[in-house]
Amino acid sequence: MERLNLEQLARLVDERPTPEERAVLEGDPATRRELDAMRSQTEALRTLPAVLPPPGGWHELEKKLSQAGLIFGPRNSNHLWRKWLQVAAALVIFIGGTALGWVTGSSPDGLSVAGVPSEPATIEEARAAVEEEWEQYWAAFTGLKQMVSAQGPTDRPSGDPTARLAAVEALMAASHAAVEQSPGDQFMNEVWVRSFAERDQIIRDFTADWR
Amino acid sequence: MQPCRKAPQPGSRDIEAQLIRRACEGDGRAVRALYDRYSPRVYAVVRRIAGDDDLAEDYAQEAWIRAIRALPTFRGEARFSTWLHRIAVNSALQAVRKEKTRRKREAPLPDVIPVPPRMGDTLMQRKLEEALAKLPDGMRKVLILHDVEGYTHEEIGTALGVTSGTSKSQLFKARAKMRRMLKGYENETHPKEIEAWSV
Repeated sequence: MERLNLEQLARLVDERPTPEERAVLEGDPATRRELDAMRSQTEALRTLPAVLPPPGGWHELEKKLSQAGLIFGPRNSNHLWRKWLQVAAALVIFIGGTALGWVTGSSPDGLSVAGVPSEPATIEEARAAVEEEWEQYWAAFTGLKQMVSAQGPTDRPSGDPTARLAAVEALMAASHAAVEQSPGDQFMNEVWVRSFAERDQIIRDFTADWR
Repeated sequence: MQPCRKAPQPGSRDIEAQLIRRACEGDGRAVRALYDRYSPRVYAVVRRIAGDDDLAEDYAQEAWIRAIRALPTFRGEARFSTWLHRIAVNSALQAVRKEKTRRKREAPLPDVIPVPPRMGDTLMQRKLEEALAKLPDGMRKVLILHDVEGYTHEEIGTALGVTSGTSKSQLFKARAKMRRMLKGYENETHPKEIEAWSV
C-alpha cells in the first residue's frame, strides 16, 4: 500500500488502522498530517455553534400554535391582567371609602379606624388624616423594601417562576402605562424600575439554571 | 390525548420540568420560555439539513408545532433537549423529502444551495457551513447527523431508511469531499487567514 486516499483517512478518524495502514502512516509524514487535518475538520464540525433563528420567529409560531389550539397565551395573560386590575380597583375603593368615611363621619361597619380620629370635623382634618395614613403606609413599605433587599440578591423566592414572571410583567406594563400618564410620579417610576429589574432577574435565573 | 406529566415540586433544578408541564397544558409563556432556550439548536440542525434559510424557517416552525403537540408523550426518560432534537431532525428530514418530490415535479433544482454568511461567524465556521451546504443531499444529511449532531450509524440508518453500512460509506465520502473543498479554500486564502481557520 503506497498512500491512503481521503476516504480511507476519513474512516481512520473513527476506526483503528489495519497493520498495513499503520505502516503507511508511520512511513509517510504527509499522510499523517492529512489524517490530523481530517480529525481537526471533524472536531470543528462537532463544535459548530447553534444558529439564532431569524427575529420574529416566535410571533409567527405563536400564531400557528394558537390556531392549532396548542397554546392559550393571550387568554392567560388577560386573566392575570384582570386579576391585577381587580387588586388595584379594590385598593382604590378601600382608600377612597376610608377617606369618604372620614369626610362624612361614618365608617361602613360602624367601627372607627385605629389611630385615626373617627369623626374629623372638617375637610382639612380628613385630608390630614389621609396624609398621615399615607405616610405610615409609605414608611411601612420602605421598611419592607429594605428587609427584602437585606436578604440579598441570591435569596430568590421559591414559587412558580412562570406565574411570577407573568405577574411581574403585568406589574411592569401597568406601572409603565402609569409613568407615561404622569412621568413625575415617583412611586410609579419606582414600581416600574423595580418590576423591570425583577423581570430581568427572573429571566436570568431561568437561563442560569439551563446552562 | 394523553394527560400532561406531573412536574416535581418547585426548585431551581425543576424549572424546566415545570415549564414542560405548563407548556403541555397550553401555557403560551412556558412554550415561549422553552422556545427561547432551544430555538437556536433546533434552528441550527434544521437549517443544516435543509441547506436553505427560507426553508429552514418553515421547517423549524413545523418541528416546534410537532414537538408541542407531542408534549403529552414526553415521559422524561431522555433529556428534553434530546427528545426535542430528535423531533426536529425527523421533521426536517421528512420536510426535505417532501420538498424534493415537489421540486422534481415542478422544475429540477441542483442539490447545492449556497448558505449566505451570517454576522458573527468566524471564517472557519463560515467555510465549514459553505462546504456543508455544497455537499450532495445524502452525504450532507449523514455528515450532519454523525459529525455535527452525534448520531450513531444505526440511528442514522433508522432516520434515513438506509443500512448502517450505507451510512458509514456516505460519511467517509462526505468527509473526504469536505476535506477537498476546505483544501481548496486553504489554497485560495491568505496564509494569515489560514492560521485562523486551518483544519
